Amino acid sequence: MKRLALVGLAGIVAAVVAAGSLGASKSPVTIVMWHGYTDVEGKALKAQIDQYNRSQSAVHVNLQFYGNADYALQKVLTAISGGKYPDIAYLYGSWAANIAKSPKTLDLTQRVKEPGFNFNDIWPAARLAATVNGKVIALPALIDNLALVYNKKLFRQAGVPFPTAKWTWATMQRAAKKLTNRSKKQFGWAYVNDGSEDTVWRYWALLWQAGGDILTPDGKKAAFDSPAGVKALTHLQRMARDKSIYFDSGNGNYTNLFNSGRIAMLYTGPWDLSSFPNVDYGVQILPGDRNHQTIAGPDNWVLFDNGKERANAAWTFMKWFMSTKQHLKLAIATGELPMRRSELKQPGYRTYTKRYPGVKTFVANLLNAKKVRPVDARYPRISEAVGQAVQAVLLGKADPKKALDDAAGKVDSILRRP
Amino acid sequence: MRLTRSEHAAGWLFVLPAALLITGFGLIPIGWSLLLSFQSSDFVSPATWVGLANYRALESDPEFRSAIGRTLLYTALFVPITVLGGLAVAVVLNAKVRFISIYRTAVFIPVACSTVATAIIFNWLLEPTFGIVNYVLSWVGLGPYGFFQNPDQSLYSVVLMTSWGWIGFNAIVYLAALQSIPQELVEAASIDGAGRFTTFRRIVWPLLGPATLFLVVWASINALQVFDEIYVSTRGGPLHSTTVVVYYLFQQAFQFFAAGYGAAIAYVLFVAILLLTLLQLWVARRRVHYSS
Repeated sequence: MKRLALVGLAGIVAAVVAAGSLGASKSPVTIVMWHGYTDVEGKALKAQIDQYNRSQSAVHVNLQFYGNADYALQKVLTAISGGKYPDIAYLYGSWAANIAKSPKTLDLTQRVKEPGFNFNDIWPAARLAATVNGKVIALPALIDNLALVYNKKLFRQAGVPFPTAKWTWATMQRAAKKLTNRSKKQFGWAYVNDGSEDTVWRYWALLWQAGGDILTPDGKKAAFDSPAGVKALTHLQRMARDKSIYFDSGNGNYTNLFNSGRIAMLYTGPWDLSSFPNVDYGVQILPGDRNHQTIAGPDNWVLFDNGKERANAAWTFMKWFMSTKQHLKLAIATGELPMRRSELKQPGYRTYTKRYPGVKTFVANLLNAKKVRPVDARYPRISEAVGQAVQAVLLGKADPKKALDDAAGKVDSILRRP
Repeated sequence: MRLTRSEHAAGWLFVLPAALLITGFGLIPIGWSLLLSFQSSDFVSPATWVGLANYRALESDPEFRSAIGRTLLYTALFVPITVLGGLAVAVVLNAKVRFISIYRTAVFIPVACSTVATAIIFNWLLEPTFGIVNYVLSWVGLGPYGFFQNPDQSLYSVVLMTSWGWIGFNAIVYLAALQSIPQELVEAASIDGAGRFTTFRRIVWPLLGPATLFLVVWASINALQVFDEIYVSTRGGPLHSTTVVVYYLFQQAFQFFAAGYGAAIAYVLFVAILLLTLLQLWVARRRVHYSS
């Protein structure tokens, strides 16, 4: 025991001496980066960070895994109230308005204007999701969008031609009906009907396609209870009445059922593609009404204030990390969508599309991601109200117009409160 | 026996780890959440003191009221089903047959299953289209039922699922109580000419009183706090049909970030459970016989 303590003491002394001597020759600024990436993504991220740490000696990035990203906001907030928090953290885009309220969140509005950074090269939907009340409070970490993923075999069996970029809601409804076979327990389409954001965001895409908006331009009142909103919800109601929709209760059963050939079409994003190893699937942009808009689900890297030196170091690192070359490298390793338009012009982009065939449509579809959900701390309440309306209609418990009017009433009163 | 000073110190040292844990993870959060219930806080921006405003808002919150209604309905179903169900299973398992310990273990397995795993399994069993329950029911011409996906059936489906997980626990407690009943009392009753039913009603049931009281109190406390299974299976839906009080609390605090409001709900629930338990104990005082 005593011996061990002595060895330990010697170690500490050595470390202190070493630290002292390093300090004299300018030690690197260490910054902490929190993330929830696992498996392939986790390895790819670590490889990038290792490369960065080796390539220069001014900044050292300490990468830390925070577990499931679903709980990251609570963890970061706890860390902030504890006074010891990371410099960079991966947070869902839907939390942008919440985290923007924290005095420790860095305002990046001026920094992203630096000439080398090319902020406008990043997809508009991702930029909008990192912006709260005109202030850039984060850097886009990930972007995806919804497209139509379909099972080619089931289409051939039912004699339905593959979806095209010109499909309308009506063509899709007819196809779904033909692709439904009750006796074989086969469904044309699936819809997540748990009333959560999963229910709501697919509806937003339809609303935008019909020319509607979620809120009025000043963000003070609900606007989804418009003729466009009713039209979009009526479309869902019709398909529910056709019984061509498999209702997922929010447990993600739909991925298993699609993979076992029970569901012919899904509105889903690139993150699901790896769950379909048994299906020969195609990807097409969403069927449209007045347009073919889709909805993007962007996430953010939020930077926190740990003093000027560390903030500068974090920014220096992020500039490198988000450069065209580095992001494309990450995309090739993980299958994530490119974040910058310029990535599409890089020679490496061909390697990327070859490795992930279905992803090409998702990339093209980013141009259809024109609007974003309101970046507002009250959004979860708005989503809840609309989720109940959509769910009630799909369960046959309410009429679209009435359900949306009720939800709009609730949303208006939510928006009246600060 | 007199303790020396060092023995006192040793005693304190022994309880120190537990005391620290209880203080750190129990007492401090309990006190802090009481404080929180008088504040308006979103976890991010500095909290502001609002006095009783959260409690006042709760009074006129229709969704909170419906959540209370659902919780009471759930409790009114869950407690009798699990207590009586546990008793029935215990009586059957009290028999002297071969492989009895295997049956007893089998009954207890659901208790050892994590509630989350239970909920995931029931999600598949009760799935309307592909679930095995609807498939079996179709043999006898019943169904298909929506179960968790039908707002009129979802709460009952949750009762079914949670009862499955609880009956085993109650059965084991009852089984222990049954086996501690002195055999001579049962024999005396049968000599006096009591049939099996009368013996049960007049001898066994009264002697099970303490066990029944414990199980009713314990099951009620747990029923009023039901959350895990609902979070995994229905997430309070469809159409709020399974939004019980604790789920509503969770939604307010962690989905909408109304932390103060959530804390106020927690305290209202705490007081309600305390009052109910006191009421149960008071009623039982005159009815439960302790053999000693």
